[in-house]
Amino acid sequence: MEAIEVTDLRKTYGGTNAVDGVTFTVHAGETLGIAGHNGAGKTTTVECLLGLRRADGGSVRVLGEDPARRRRALAQRVGAQLQESALPERIKVAEALHAFASFYHRPADWREVMERWSLTSLARKAYGDLSGGQKQRLMLALALVGDPELVVLDELTTGLDPLARRETWRLVRELKTSGTTVVLVSHYFDEAEALCDRLAVLARGRIRAMGTPAEIIARTGTASLEEAYFALEGADR
Amino acid sequence: MKAFTALTTIELRLLLRDPASVFFMMAFPMMLLVLKRGDSGAVPGYIAMISAVGGLGALPGIVAGYRERKVLKRLGTTPISPVLLLGAQLVAQVAAALIGSALLVVAAIAAFGARPPTNLPLLAVAILLCSVMVCALGFVIAAVVRNTRGASLIGMLVEFPMLFLAGAAVPREALPDSLRAIGGFLPLTPGVDVLTAAWTGAAALFPMMILAGIIVAGTAVAAALFRWE
Repeated sequence: MEAIEVTDLRKTYGGTNAVDGVTFTVHAGETLGIAGHNGAGKTTTVECLLGLRRADGGSVRVLGEDPARRRRALAQRVGAQLQESALPERIKVAEALHAFASFYHRPADWREVMERWSLTSLARKAYGDLSGGQKQRLMLALALVGDPELVVLDELTTGLDPLARRETWRLVRELKTSGTTVVLVSHYFDEAEALCDRLAVLARGRIRAMGTPAEIIARTGTASLEEAYFALEGADR
Repeated sequence: MKAFTALTTIELRLLLRDPASVFFMMAFPMMLLVLKRGDSGAVPGYIAMISAVGGLGALPGIVAGYRERKVLKRLGTTPISPVLLLGAQLVAQVAAALIGSALLVVAAIAAFGARPPTNLPLLAVAILLCSVMVCALGFVIAAVVRNTRGASLIGMLVEFPMLFLAGAAVPREALPDSLRAIGGFLPLTPGVDVLTAAWTGAAALFPMMILAGIIVAGTAVAAALFRWE
């Protein structure tokens, strides 16, 4: 069974087609990238996958279930890190992990998660006192504390300095090795290229290309993924 | 239940880590009592003030902040409902009001020789009703006002005039007639009445029913209008 099957997904906001007939599958254990510029429809797609929004058309199946109807049950098996979501300033790292672990039937041991993501030395530190990279590491750990089969990461490294970004990449690679299916949303093409087995390139609500990063570059006859994107994006302008 | 307990514990800890909440719910009422030379007649009003500081002064900003900072949305991707966090915030505010009130009552008795309340469970129920009522108003503000700063501001704009006009900070008898008349329409006034009666061991049934009515109506309005994003 595929981890995710999206068929002809459509979502409209006030007359604008945010997502306009998107179809893709994610195989179990793979890392799929959804790349594209701001406003391409990436976040809307992800929110439909997580059951936060109901699609206007098409079908979405996540781990065999419809997220719009079975959000809570699916949330036991799917971890998420949302774009720009934060925690209260004064909550401590260990408190956040402990609380999130209490949401799940069969969570991972939150102390182990804290150790694995190098957060133990920060356990008593308040969220507001963490650096950007540390915050993101905590948000990643919170996405994993429920021991999910599938993890959705939206704009994981936006706003991070290059060092913190590389560190986050290393963590995502580690996640891949452990067999977790990952959906990684990014507007950084180097990131998508470095981390993803396959890539869906989204522009103006549609998938312009789908394949391994190398395939997409080869198909457009360009030198890099970013150039390939502009070639695809400009094709029907 | 495990999740609710964890969230409530954290919410209460967060309140106790907030210097403004601790000062205005715990230290400030005692300072006022000192200024009043320990006049225990002022205690029920100050208890109402402690509730209002939490439910109107702090709660709207906290809840609107959870929405603005996408804490609620993030919880929407977990197996629990974001409503649980709002419930935890309510319980934490009521608990903080009970702690603040208990400290004030103990100080009044220990330092100023006030007569201990004859019916402690009744006083506890009065504090509970008053605090939940004010929190319901706070949730209405958080539901309607979009951003954190706006919600905090409106909360305080509702809170402060009410502290003075409802008989919480100063007795209504001390107000000019016209201002006293306004107090008759404010939701905190029945709160002060219930607390004043409970302090002497009496149950003020009609004001209690008004408080219960405001709780039901406020919760319904907040639930109907609440924006999750």
